[in-house]
Amino acid sequence: MKKWLYTLCFCALLIWFCLPPLALAESASPDTEVLEELERLSAGIETLSSDFIQEKYLAVFEEVMLSRGRFYFKQPDSLRWELTEPVATGFVLQGDEGRRWHQRTGSEEHFDIDREPIMKIVAEQLFAWAGADFSWLRQNYRIAVEGRAPVRLRLEPLFETGGFLDHLQIQFAASGRHVQIVELHEADGDFTRLRFENTRINQPLTRELF
Amino acid sequence: MSLSETIAKSYRFFACRRRLLFGLTAVLLLLSAVAFARIRLEANIDAMLPDRGSRVAADFALLQRAPFARKVLISVETEADMDSAVLVAAADRLAAALDPAVFDRVVTGPGGPLQGPLVNWLEGALPSLLTASELQDLAVELDGEGLQNRLQENYEQLLAPQGWALKSLIRRDPLSLYLQGLKKLRHLNMIPQMRLVDNHFVSSDGKSVLLVAETAIPMTDSAGAKTLMASFDAAVAATLPPGIGASLVAGHRYTLANAEAIQGDLWRILAASTLALLILFGCFLRSLQAGYVLLLPLAVVCFSAVAVSWFFAPVSAVTLGFGAVLLGITVDFGLHVYFALRRGGAPPEAIIGELSQPLLFGALTTVAGFAVLLFSDLPGQRQLAVFSIAGIGMALLLSLLVLPHLITAPRFSGKATGSHWLRQVRGQRRLILGVWLLLLVAAGWQATGLVFNGDLRRMSLVPAELAAAEQTLQQRWGDFRSQAMVWTRGEDRDQALAANEQLFALLQQAQSDQPRVSIAPLLPSTAVQQANRAAWQTFWTGPHGQRLLADLRRQAAEMGFSAKAFAPFFDRLSEKPQPVTLEGLRQAGLGDLVDSLILEQGGQVEVLTLVEDHPELAERVESLLPGRAQLVSQAGFRRDISAAISRDFIRFMLSAFLVVILFLALLFRRPVKVLAALVPVVTGLATMFGSMAALGLDVNLFNIIGCILVIGLGVDYGIFMVCKIADDRDCATDKAVLVSGLTTLAGFGALVLARHPALHSIGVTVLLGIGPAIPAALLVIPALYRGDKP
Repeated sequence: MKKWLYTLCFCALLIWFCLPPLALAESASPDTEVLEELERLSAGIETLSSDFIQEKYLAVFEEVMLSRGRFYFKQPDSLRWELTEPVATGFVLQGDEGRRWHQRTGSEEHFDIDREPIMKIVAEQLFAWAGADFSWLRQNYRIAVEGRAPVRLRLEPLFETGGFLDHLQIQFAASGRHVQIVELHEADGDFTRLRFENTRINQPLTRELF
Repeated sequence: MSLSETIAKSYRFFACRRRLLFGLTAVLLLLSAVAFARIRLEANIDAMLPDRGSRVAADFALLQRAPFARKVLISVETEADMDSAVLVAAADRLAAALDPAVFDRVVTGPGGPLQGPLVNWLEGALPSLLTASELQDLAVELDGEGLQNRLQENYEQLLAPQGWALKSLIRRDPLSLYLQGLKKLRHLNMIPQMRLVDNHFVSSDGKSVLLVAETAIPMTDSAGAKTLMASFDAAVAATLPPGIGASLVAGHRYTLANAEAIQGDLWRILAASTLALLILFGCFLRSLQAGYVLLLPLAVVCFSAVAVSWFFAPVSAVTLGFGAVLLGITVDFGLHVYFALRRGGAPPEAIIGELSQPLLFGALTTVAGFAVLLFSDLPGQRQLAVFSIAGIGMALLLSLLVLPHLITAPRFSGKATGSHWLRQVRGQRRLILGVWLLLLVAAGWQATGLVFNGDLRRMSLVPAELAAAEQTLQQRWGDFRSQAMVWTRGEDRDQALAANEQLFALLQQAQSDQPRVSIAPLLPSTAVQQANRAAWQTFWTGPHGQRLLADLRRQAAEMGFSAKAFAPFFDRLSEKPQPVTLEGLRQAGLGDLVDSLILEQGGQVEVLTLVEDHPELAERVESLLPGRAQLVSQAGFRRDISAAISRDFIRFMLSAFLVVILFLALLFRRPVKVLAALVPVVTGLATMFGSMAALGLDVNLFNIIGCILVIGLGVDYGIFMVCKIADDRDCATDKAVLVSGLTTLAGFGALVLARHPALHSIGVTVLLGIGPAIPAALLVIPALYRGDKP
């Protein structure tokens, strides 16, 4: 499976969760200053949680695929990603160990991300972003600031994507406290939009979630 | 002219031409040394395995072609509760640190991510791989809810994070047909307890990562093995953190362990032998001239090796090393000459002439003993026979023609001295014979429990550390190196693959639950592929397939998939399916695996299948595919070679004994003298076998050589003693026999101190065989045989 696809997916999510609120003041500072400010502000994040709406604009479907779900992250290595509509499915990662479930089939299984190349890549990307590793981000993407009120970033991959990924677009909320929209644009014209709502930073997360 | 007269005449001839004699001898020895330096030696075990088209030799050659037979296996392991990723990273560091000049290639996993190219290959290969029966099963599986479930899974996967990665695959294969291909892939898993973690070979308990390395260093090269181990140890020390270790398992390690053991043994044996010989020298010889006697074996070694090279190419280094030790027995000829001359009692030419007949017959019986090895199936033993025969012959000539001129005999006074030895022995006749008979009965009783062991591993040293590494490797990864191998053959690839298919079908019927490795499910023969493709097209154009496709379109539309969502799948069905090729498998990332299962050489193609080893399977496989399949296994090989060695042992013992009796009959022409001369041999062999059985020691390949040595030397002692008694002469024979026996014990018996099993075996045999043969010759023969006088 293609490594870049997972990179894309989780980069998008984590950009939104991990990037800190930005000052909205108009400034003529270069893009690097914006990124440095993001990095500085993200340092104190311990937990993240948010609802999301996923819109998939895929040629394989006649209509837009809408789905809803929730995302939780807790330092240093706990993560929960779940869809609630139209299907109930999801997975939890804790370090190298994972657990996934599927309501339709009633199945639940544990897995080792070391044994599943796809999930391993997913986890690597996810935890790198959750840890706010902006140096890694700069190494893997060309980042341009497209707007400052609200902040909009365009990320073009510097790594080989197999021709599928074109670019990412990240838009922060007007308040600057969290990412509001992530769009993943594929080379064939398909794209996915994730809208995040009810985002909470550094709120207590119960152990049962992970 | 008799032999005695000829030898006496030659002595007189050279007595006044000693410079010529010594010059000729020196030239002969020098030429031998020069020729010896040009001999091509080969240090591998092949010489110790049967040849001449034997089944065992063919099996051994096939065993060498097993996928892991020539590989260096490195297990990076921990006992701690450690994250697999940490272990994998450590293994990667070690792999990178291994010196490429020593380790040509190091493989940590299947060679790049398999999933992408492999799934793509499987999609294209399915029409050629799936049988009509499997397609029917598929139709049943996808009937009704089955199809709906597949589509639902696709839908949900597209919603999930991995949807981006799977979109293309889902469009090309909405029915997940590639899973049918993946099922066939399990037949390529060579290591039963292996799983892939981050594209690395990791044991099922997660505590070990396997590296498979290749090296150009031959397994039998002890110096190279030392370099390899040093390089490995250095890389381990430089890369692995505390808590993570690595062990290397390869033939090189056995070579090194054996070479080091032999080196260590040599010093110990040399020290013990030298000390014993010095004591003997001090007690019995006490003359610098005796040094010529001790040099005799050294003088004939090169000549003997050159003689071997006239008949065999290449010459086995093992044979030469072993043969050189064997030639230590030639010192006996020199000792008889030395003692006889030093004792005097007659003119030197008369002494040598008188001694020539027992010496010649002693040499001939020893040669006869070794000559039976000329008929051995083991080339190493045949080489050893030639080496020993040439060495003994040359030593006899030097002893009779050259040595007498190097030893100063006391001036002849015209008066012979008498022997008191025989009178003393005969005074204790009843006691001696009573003890001897008791010993024979006890030994014969114990000898019935003697066990033959032909396991080649028993002949080499396996250090505890290496044995533990082997055991750990087997526990962690499964017994993947001892599976039986079935080779199917054909004049071309297709013929071999067809035979392989038949074998696979047979194995499925015989042991459907046993793990096995076969290329048959992934590379069928041309005929089967064509049949499968025809079945594929028939299926998709027939009622089952058409209904399935119609259902797919309908249900996909109901779930919201667009009309073009699965266009790539329908396009693929309309294309003409392509055959599966070896090259395609290599491009899919399976090159290493398939190349280890298909061998093409010399106009013949062989396809390998690995099976759980069961003795009854070999017969069944070979009876159902006569001439086209051959099963070999480590266990079967050990059984076969054990049986071959047991057969050889009995054959050689009987042959050597019969030849010795024949020579004795020719020499003595009287049964009583023949029987008396056999006393040391019978006593030595009986005591040796009885003691070995009582001590729980098995008979192995090297014991056979030791037995022949006991026969050859024992009968020599008998001949000399019978000649002495029959002719009532005193050439210090009893002393010569005693010192000969003691030097043999000092030289060969010291081998019992060796750690190396082969050397130790020879030492045990000689010690237990020659040890009793000496008193039997010196005490029992005089007690039994009173000579020809009434």
